[in-house]
Amino acid sequence: MSVKSVSVHAKWIVGKVIGTKMQKTAKVRVTRLVLDQYLLKYYNKRKTYFAHDPLEQCTVGDVVLLKALAERRAKLVTHKLAEIVYKVGNVIDPLTGKQVAGSLFRETLTDSMENPAGSLTEKLQELNISAATSEILQKPSEV
Amino acid sequence: MPMKGRYPIRRTLEYLQKGDIVFKNTVKIMTVNYNTHGELSDGARKFVFFNIPQIQYKNPWVQVMMFKNLTPAPFLKFYLDDGDQVLVDAEGKDHKDISQHVKKILGKSEEVLQAEELARMVHSNPANFGPKKYCLRECMCEVEGQVPCPGLIPLPNEMRGKYKSQMKGTED
Repeated sequence: MSVKSVSVHAKWIVGKVIGTKMQKTAKVRVTRLVLDQYLLKYYNKRKTYFAHDPLEQCTVGDVVLLKALAERRAKLVTHKLAEIVYKVGNVIDPLTGKQVAGSLFRETLTDSMENPAGSLTEKLQELNISAATSEILQKPSEV
Repeated sequence: MPMKGRYPIRRTLEYLQKGDIVFKNTVKIMTVNYNTHGELSDGARKFVFFNIPQIQYKNPWVQVMMFKNLTPAPFLKFYLDDGDQVLVDAEGKDHKDISQHVKKILGKSEEVLQAEELARMVHSNPANFGPKKYCLRECMCEVEGQVPCPGLIPLPNEMRGKYKSQMKGTED
């Protein structure tokens, strides 16, 4: 009967994808810091949200930015995927724009491929030279 | 008996209430990426250790997330309401520098905070009586020097309507 105008309090949310078994939907776990009243210390409190992902581009483990939908799409789906912040296994450092793994930079394959090719041709030339010199050496010895 | 943990002062209400940074209304999410080892992340680690509880206390509706050991350089990222994102580099910076920088770019200024406090004071008049949530006192019997609550101590007969009507009845 009543159509809820804004589905949830939270308009923007960042969370980690924990499941993609639903069609075009990602299950996202969002952690917020909640103060323990007695200890006065902040702990992570989890909540799961379901997000609409039309292109099925999320995998389990991605860190994802969700935007609240204007109207609730299904009984549980209240948000949609805005962007994938960190793709699992392919984190890109926002400061440099390069691929990164932990505290190291992943060098892209194109750079490493060029050098071995250059060195291989050089090595072949060296081999030819050495073969030619050995033949010249052998001939006078035979004779 | 001293408090448990290292720097337990972080866990006192006084410390939490002393937080400087009150974010503007457009800031919705704050993300801190830092590394657990290495000198570059030292400022970011101290920022997370000391300042994040203060920030979260003053901004209960902002989602704060921490990510460890994802990228080589530490940084902070803020997600605003319009979809804008603000990236703050924290490499090699001291935790005080980081918090001052954040306060400068995304925090409410002193004037705005004072104006809000004035508005709150004007809104809540201490002279009103009402529920504990909105006012200081609920009934006049709570004030010292006034007639105490008849629920605890019976009123003197001159003030009781029942007694007065009885006396009127017996007179006539």
